[in-house]
Amino acid sequence: MKRWLALAAVIVAVALLPLLLDPRGYWIRVFTFTLLFAAMAQAWNIVGGLANQTSLGHAAFFGIGAYTSTVLLLKFGISPWLGMLAGGALGGLAALVIAIPTMRLQGHYFALATLAFGEVMRVIANVWTSLTGGPGGLSVPFVPPSLAAYSFKLLRPHAYIALAALVVVTAIFEIIRRGAMGYRLRAIKQNPAAAEVIGVDTTRVKLQAAVISGALIAMLGTLYAQVAVFFDPDTVFGIASISIRIALIAIIGGVGTAAGPILGAFFIIPLEEVMNDLLSSRAAGLSQLVFGVILISVILWRPRGFITVFDSLRARLSRSGAS
Amino acid sequence: MSKHHSLGSTGVNRRALLSGTAALLASPFVLSSARAEAAPVNVGVIMPLSGPNAQFGINSRNGIELVADEINTAGGIAELGGAKINLVVADATSTPTTAGTVAQRLITQQDMTAVLGAFVSSLTIAISEVTERRDIPLLTMSFADQITGRGYKNIFQVVAKASVIGKAQFEYTAAIAQAAGAKIEKIAIMYEDTAYGTAQANGLRAGAKAANVEVVMDDAYPLGITDTTPLINKLRGSGAQAVFPVSYLNDSLLIIRTMRQQKLTIPAIGGAAGYVIPDFEKGLGEFAENVLSIDTSNYDLAPQLTERFRKRFGYFMVHEALEHAVCLEVLVQAIRKAKSAKAEDVAAALRGAKFTGGWINGMTGGAVQFDQTGLNVLSVPLMVQWRAKDIVTVWPKDIAKSAPVWRS
Repeated sequence: MKRWLALAAVIVAVALLPLLLDPRGYWIRVFTFTLLFAAMAQAWNIVGGLANQTSLGHAAFFGIGAYTSTVLLLKFGISPWLGMLAGGALGGLAALVIAIPTMRLQGHYFALATLAFGEVMRVIANVWTSLTGGPGGLSVPFVPPSLAAYSFKLLRPHAYIALAALVVVTAIFEIIRRGAMGYRLRAIKQNPAAAEVIGVDTTRVKLQAAVISGALIAMLGTLYAQVAVFFDPDTVFGIASISIRIALIAIIGGVGTAAGPILGAFFIIPLEEVMNDLLSSRAAGLSQLVFGVILISVILWRPRGFITVFDSLRARLSRSGAS
Repeated sequence: MSKHHSLGSTGVNRRALLSGTAALLASPFVLSSARAEAAPVNVGVIMPLSGPNAQFGINSRNGIELVADEINTAGGIAELGGAKINLVVADATSTPTTAGTVAQRLITQQDMTAVLGAFVSSLTIAISEVTERRDIPLLTMSFADQITGRGYKNIFQVVAKASVIGKAQFEYTAAIAQAAGAKIEKIAIMYEDTAYGTAQANGLRAGAKAANVEVVMDDAYPLGITDTTPLINKLRGSGAQAVFPVSYLNDSLLIIRTMRQQKLTIPAIGGAAGYVIPDFEKGLGEFAENVLSIDTSNYDLAPQLTERFRKRFGYFMVHEALEHAVCLEVLVQAIRKAKSAKAEDVAAALRGAKFTGGWINGMTGGAVQFDQTGLNVLSVPLMVQWRAKDIVTVWPKDIAKSAPVWRS
């Protein structure tokens, strides 16, 4: 009961925040991207956290989503909301196609195979100029503002859409985690052979998780495109800018938990910005260096993610309450 | 006991804190009243200061800082009561979305008159999406055609477009070869798959097609390629008489070094960027000698200006530094003309007018004039050639400082 109240309080606080920020300003943009990256890391968490399959290729599905809705909008004037559904379907399909051959791989081999897939998509987007605009990238056209056209003059509606997306993806994650599918995925994570023996259809469960995760992140690709307004193949299919970053966010926050990706995103994205703001005009590259040092320190301090801070706090509180 | 002591010290601190806060709060008023007529003109400088293109970003920043310092030492902008130029420098990194966020930050934190940046075309495009929506003029020397091809009102491109540069890269080469009594029938194009590389390759292809020259090799490769041997092997087998590589720095070094080590001596005509900075010669030594490159401006066209850069930074004024200096020069002239540092007044002053003098003397065409898309219609590409540690303008003939060397 208490936990639900706390959760509701946090959501209300976060929902009020955009009202306090300058709607044309910088922090609301950072806030929006933070929410988006939290949602992306949460979608990744379904395969990366529950099934423990560390995917480094989620940029592939993300980029498919961004390109699908933007190309449909540019070529046929289709609303990005419909484009988002189409992108989600294509992203889920791509995840299925990729999961069938890679599913049997484990650990590093799985990570490497997915990494290659993201790179393949980047090359395709670079070469298929007639559809994707090639390396020159795509600009989302500015159409008269309306909710139906997913076009706004200010960033505030974007922030709320990103927040809604985070709530939805987190809810899906929690439903999976608490349901039968979550148990099956964790069984596979612990011991795939044992899971088979007790009757878990491991192939089927892994495919389901991959498709849900891929479809969700593709839909988030549409939201990203609408906020960023311009993107090129390196932006949405990038290894460092997307694939590794979302994995990193989930890992820093705490893999396999609902709060982990959110904590991770609210740490990493603003930290990058603050570092760039404070240091980039002084010495070139210093901001990334300091950012890296902070990340390493955090990993050393909390190897299992920020989420463990709360666990130890709770443990300390209950101990002092007992005494 | 200790509690009492700490309380006492807090009292002292609080008093100090209060007076300090009061002083801090008052300081902006004191400052602003002291120079009420000369509030500084904020100019955002967003460049890739980290990552693979950091060198170009640093060169660009150097050029801008030189001009800003000179104007400030000379008493600032007289039309605004001697207002000083305040450069707000930020790292665009190598991700367009981050560049856009950085632009948003600068515009939000301060009243910006204009933004300069960001060398790499994709970064410039991302920044322009922000500046356009906030009606802030963005002055750039990025090449890509899309920059002024989207109908935006607040973007100003001081150099020719990539497709025009690519076409000139071919046509000048053909003319230089013809002047040396050679005839080009087969060429090879290799370019990195970035916005700049592909757009310029399109221009090269168009030029070759118009001249009925066969393109026997036409290969894109990813930025950050680590082994160019397969490319060079293919080049050797293609029978091309000249090769046109378009790339940033590292790949340009790899391509030329691999070619020369394999004793492949056909002329190489680079596509600016990596081919026209001091690091090219530093990385290649004698292999750099006589390598040609297309360029959009060169320091030997206005030595009296560009020597000031060499004196301060210790290397010749590369074209991105010179063109960014021109961006700031044009901007300051527009501010003087508008007698205002407000972004929309300055943007209005930039459109249509013809700017001359000062750093603009370093540009081909001798002046800068933007059409309604924001493109400088007077800029013409030129051809340069490496001679020892310098690059010399060798084409077109009317501005050349030395005759081109052509060895086929």
